[in-house]
Amino acid sequence: MKTILAFREEEYAWVHETFPCVHPLLLPLCNKPFIEFLIDFAILAGSSGVRILCDGGLDALEQYCEDGSRWGIDLSYASIHPDDSIHTMLGKNRKFCGEERVMIVSGFNFIRYDKRLDYKNLATSRPTGEWAACPGGRITLTGVPAKTALDWTLAELSLMPLDSMASFYRASMEALETGATRYVLPGYGDEPGCAFGRNVVISKSVEIRKPVSIGNNVQLLANTIIGPSAIIGSNVIIDRQSSVESSIVFDNTYIGEHLKVDGRIASGNRLNDPKSGASIAMEDPHLLSGIKKKWDIRSLPRKIVHAVAALGLIAVFFIPFIILWPLLKLGGHWKSTRADFLSERTDATLPLGKVEVDSSSAQAAIAIALSLDRYLWLFRVLTGQLALIGSSPLLAEKTRPDLLLGALTYRPGVFSYAEAEDWPATGGDATIVERFHLAHSNPLSDISLVIKAFINRLQEKSAI
Amino acid sequence: MTISETSKIGIAILSLNGTLDALSAPEFRNNRSVIDPEKTVVVDLQQVDFIDSSGIGAIVSASRQKRQPTGGIVLSCMNDRVRKVFEITNAQKLFHIFDDTIAAVDFAATRQKSAGA
Repeated sequence: MKTILAFREEEYAWVHETFPCVHPLLLPLCNKPFIEFLIDFAILAGSSGVRILCDGGLDALEQYCEDGSRWGIDLSYASIHPDDSIHTMLGKNRKFCGEERVMIVSGFNFIRYDKRLDYKNLATSRPTGEWAACPGGRITLTGVPAKTALDWTLAELSLMPLDSMASFYRASMEALETGATRYVLPGYGDEPGCAFGRNVVISKSVEIRKPVSIGNNVQLLANTIIGPSAIIGSNVIIDRQSSVESSIVFDNTYIGEHLKVDGRIASGNRLNDPKSGASIAMEDPHLLSGIKKKWDIRSLPRKIVHAVAALGLIAVFFIPFIILWPLLKLGGHWKSTRADFLSERTDATLPLGKVEVDSSSAQAAIAIALSLDRYLWLFRVLTGQLALIGSSPLLAEKTRPDLLLGALTYRPGVFSYAEAEDWPATGGDATIVERFHLAHSNPLSDISLVIKAFINRLQEKSAI
Repeated sequence: MTISETSKIGIAILSLNGTLDALSAPEFRNNRSVIDPEKTVVVDLQQVDFIDSSGIGAIVSASRQKRQPTGGIVLSCMNDRVRKVFEITNAQKLFHIFDDTIAAVDFAATRQKSAGA
């Protein structure tokens, strides 16, 4: 028996918008990533291999699940097109499916199953076709069934589409309330309805009201009240005299003092109302805030190398700039407009002067060939606001490139990686080049790419 | 990099072996079947041990030259290393990707037939 789990980006696009810090397939339901519920179900149904198909990025998921050895199955990953039918999906994964029976779970749905029931015999003996369905997806079986007479009503399934914050909240609460009797849930506890992770610090005066699920590295400070129906993620601090009831607190969240969180989802500095879908960002970090990870020191060598190289370019082109700039400015060939561009940081924009040089005169042609239109941007490299080479800066009104969790998708630079390559023909193709180099380049290769970009611009302008 | 070319039911199958980078990309780009806009090509990437942006560029440009942009080049047997490069660059959305070359050929033949009809 093999299982295919198929997802389309449009099905979980709402998660990207509501909880941007987590990959949608790793969205925690009662402190357990969504994908693990599906893997558990595939194992209950007797699958030895599971393949996850998606038309979006799977990098973060792959880093988390790896090859499935922790579940004792073979886990693999592949891409699909958004409009692929089940038949096409089976064709694209023919080698994986082989001659075995295949269960295809499609859609971003929560499967209501019961770990105590025998799904293995059921999955092998049910006739080919649909097993369960809901508006957002279905479970389908293909291949020849085994000839065993079973009462299928004994282990019926149902699906709940996770199409909004409200349905996510419902599914989480359902998992919490049915608890470890139906699902395999994380945490330890002496009594039903209470699950605690590792390294949970609970002050003496804390009151816990069942059911609750608490993650790892959590601090519950004096006089806090947790529950009933509270799901607290990992790396969370609940400060003194606060209460969390019928609510979900995501990982890496700080809940301030004297607060009452009731029927809400707290994620970082955002407080969401699952019923109305309303969401507010708290400006006061003493009330609610994200617990930030330490600054990533790995980016430091790149910033230093870029700054040193930028300093060199500033020195080399200082004299041409100081001569040509006033001439072009006075002649009306140098036009500068200021605009806000997207910054590398998601919460900030970057005001930059964009220069347009009218290349009708010889001086202007030299200025363009020497990339003097980017000269002033080099100073932004010294302050770390721009990279020397990276993505083409995008105007702030444009949408930020899709965030592939675990991978950098946008780092504005004076020169772009696409300028260093010869092949991009369209804007979309340029993005492919930029993403490749954002993931694979190192500070030294960046310098050689800057030289290539500079030469390409020089040749391009010379050709004009 | 070496390219071995076979054909099945009118579909060209290019099996690439080695590194698809800036040095070897022109060889792929200039392949007769790749250049032909009418020809559907299945590219078997199982033996590709490294691909860079120029390699992806060669495959993307090849698909742009085809009459059927999403069906003119069909990819098969992508290993994990190559798949990750396609995913990180989001280039996987431009292609139909199969884990089996014969299945890819069947798909390409069906597409070619329906496009011709």
